[in-house]
Amino acid sequence: MALNRYVALRLGQIIIIFFIILTVLFVLFRIAPGDPIERMVDPTMTPEDAEILISQLGLDKPISVQYLYYLKNFFSGNMGTSFHYGRPVLKIILDRLPNTILLFTTSIMLSAFFGVFLGKIASWAKGSFKDTAMTIGALVCHTMFLPWIALLMIWFFAYKVGWFPLTGMITPEIWLDPGSGSLKKALDIIHHMILPLGTLFLIHFGSYLLIMRSSMLETLKEDYILTARAKGLEEKIIRNHHAAPNAALPVVTSIGLSLAFSINGGALTETVFTWPGLGRELVFSVSNNDYPLAQASFLLIAAVVLVANVIVDVLYAYLDPRIRY
Amino acid sequence: MTSRPARLTDRYHWIQRFLEGWALFRESLVGKIGLTLLVVFAFMALGSFIPPMISPMYHPMTGVDPQISFSTGPSFRHWLGTDFIGRDILSQLLAGARVAFIVGISAAFMSIVIGTTIGMVAGYSGRSTDAFLMRSADMIMVMPTLLVVLILSSLFGQLNIWVIVILIALFRWPGVARVIRAQTLSLKQRPFIDAAKVAGAGHLRIIFRHIMPNVLPLAFLYMTFRVTSAIIIEAALAFLGFGDPGTVSWGMMLQWVWKTGHMFQAPYWLLPPGICISMITLSFYMLGRAMDEVLDPRLRRNSEAG
Repeated sequence: MALNRYVALRLGQIIIIFFIILTVLFVLFRIAPGDPIERMVDPTMTPEDAEILISQLGLDKPISVQYLYYLKNFFSGNMGTSFHYGRPVLKIILDRLPNTILLFTTSIMLSAFFGVFLGKIASWAKGSFKDTAMTIGALVCHTMFLPWIALLMIWFFAYKVGWFPLTGMITPEIWLDPGSGSLKKALDIIHHMILPLGTLFLIHFGSYLLIMRSSMLETLKEDYILTARAKGLEEKIIRNHHAAPNAALPVVTSIGLSLAFSINGGALTETVFTWPGLGRELVFSVSNNDYPLAQASFLLIAAVVLVANVIVDVLYAYLDPRIRY
Repeated sequence: MTSRPARLTDRYHWIQRFLEGWALFRESLVGKIGLTLLVVFAFMALGSFIPPMISPMYHPMTGVDPQISFSTGPSFRHWLGTDFIGRDILSQLLAGARVAFIVGISAAFMSIVIGTTIGMVAGYSGRSTDAFLMRSADMIMVMPTLLVVLILSSLFGQLNIWVIVILIALFRWPGVARVIRAQTLSLKQRPFIDAAKVAGAGHLRIIFRHIMPNVLPLAFLYMTFRVTSAIIIEAALAFLGFGDPGTVSWGMMLQWVWKTGHMFQAPYWLLPPGICISMITLSFYMLGRAMDEVLDPRLRRNSEAG
C-alpha cells in the first residue's frame, strides 16, 4: 500500500493506544489505596479552593461522569496544578519537552551514525584484532550500567578534571546577562550537554555497531554484490555505496525496538545529570508525591514514545520499499 | 538381529541433544567466559550468608561496627571499607549478588512462563485470538518499563521486591511471546501435529505435549536475555530510590553512595556495585550468545562460507 496510507494507519493505531493508556491511568488513580481526591487536589489548599477544584474536576459525581470530565480536562489542556511548583502542569511539562527531545534525538542520531560507521569498518576487518577489539568494546559498553557510568563520568570529567559542569543544562550567569548573544548561549548548552550525551552514546552505540557488523556480513554475500564485483567496480565503492546502505536498515529497526530502553536510559541520565527534562521531572514528581505532575509527565513521555515509534516505522518503510503492510 | 540393551539416550532424545549442545558450547570462548563469571557470582551469592555468621557487625543492613560509624576505606577489618553508617561494604556486595540472582531469575522465569504460554496459544489458535494477543503484546512492548513501574510505585507506595519482580515479568513477556509464536507457527505445519490430531488429541494436549518441548530451548535462550534486563531494571529502580528499602541490592548501594554525597570521596564504595552489575549483565549476555550459537546452526562460525 502507499506510504501515505501506512502513515495514516500507524497514526490511527497510536491514537487508540494512547486512549487506552489514558483510560488505564484513570482507573489506576482511582483504585489505588488511599484517597483519590487527595491525588488530584493539593491537600494544602484551603477548603474553599478545594471545593472549587473538586467540582471543576467532577470528583463529586459518579465514575462514568468523572471519566468524561477527565477526558474533557485533558483535551482542553487542563491537567491540574502541580503540588510542588504551584503552577499549571501543562506549562511545566511543555517547558521540559524540548530539553528531553534535544538530548534524546541527538544521542540516538550520534549513536546510530557512529555505530553504523564503526560496524561497517569492523565487518571489513573481520577476524582481525581491530574487529575483535571493537566487538568486545561494543559489548562491554552495551552491558554497562547506565547510572553508574553517568556517576563515573561526573566524578572524572566534572569533579576531577573540571572540564565540564556538574549539573544542569545552563549556566544562569550567562543566560541572565543581557549582553550574551545566541551563540554564547548555544555553546553553553552544548557544553553542558556533552557529558550526558557521552553517557547515552556509550551505552547505545554498542548495539548498533554489533547489528551493523552482522548485517554487513550478511549483505556482502548477496547476489547483487557479486554482480557489482563482476562489473569490475572498485571494492571500496561496492562496500560504501552498494552494501552499506542496505546493511544499515536493520539498525533502523533496532532503533525502533529499543526506543523504550532508550527512554528509560534518557530518564536515568537526566536524573543523574540534573538535566531539566521530562524524565527527570517524572522521577522528581513521583518522589514528591506530586500526582498531577507525575501523571502528566508520564502521559507526555508515552506520547513521545508512541510518536517516535511511528517515525521510525515510517522511516523504515520509506527506506525499504519491500516492507509495506 | 541381536538386541542390545536400551541406552538412556535412546529413550530420551533430549538428553542426547543436550549433551551435543554442551559439547558445542564448550568450544565457544564467549560461553566459557560467561559461564565462569556466572559461577563466580553464584559463589558470591552463596557466600553472602557467611559474613553475618562471623559477627553481627558484618550484617549488610543492620551491621554496626562499634568502632566505625562513617565511611572508611578498605582495611583489614572491612575488606572493601564501610558505608556512611559503618556497615561493611563487602557483605553488602555479596548480599546484592544474592538479590540479583533471585530477582533476575524469578522475573525472567515468570516472563518466560507467561510469554511462552501466550506465544504458543497465539501461534496455535490463529485468527482473532492471535491478533488480540499480539496487539496487546505490541502495546506493552512500547511502554518503557522503568517509567511505568515508577508511576505505579507513586500510586501504591513503596513496592515490595516481589511486586517489583512480578511487574517486571508483566512487562517483559511480549518479546518472548513473539518469538515463541513464530516458532509455533512453523511447527504447526509439521506432519507430527497432524498425526496427533488424527489420533484424536485435544488442543491442550497438542500444545503442551507436542509443541512445548520443541519450543522450550528457544524459551530458555530468551530467558538469559530476560535475566539481564530484569537485573538492570531492578537496579535502576533501586538507584532512583524506588526499590524495596528492606533489600540490599547493588542498585541500592549506588543510591546510597549517590544520595549521601559520598560519590566523590569513596571510590571503594562507588566502584564495586557498578562493576558487579555490569559484569553480571555481560556474563548472562555472553551465555545467551553462546547458547544462541548452539541452538541456531546458522550462527556458528565454522559454517560461514566465504
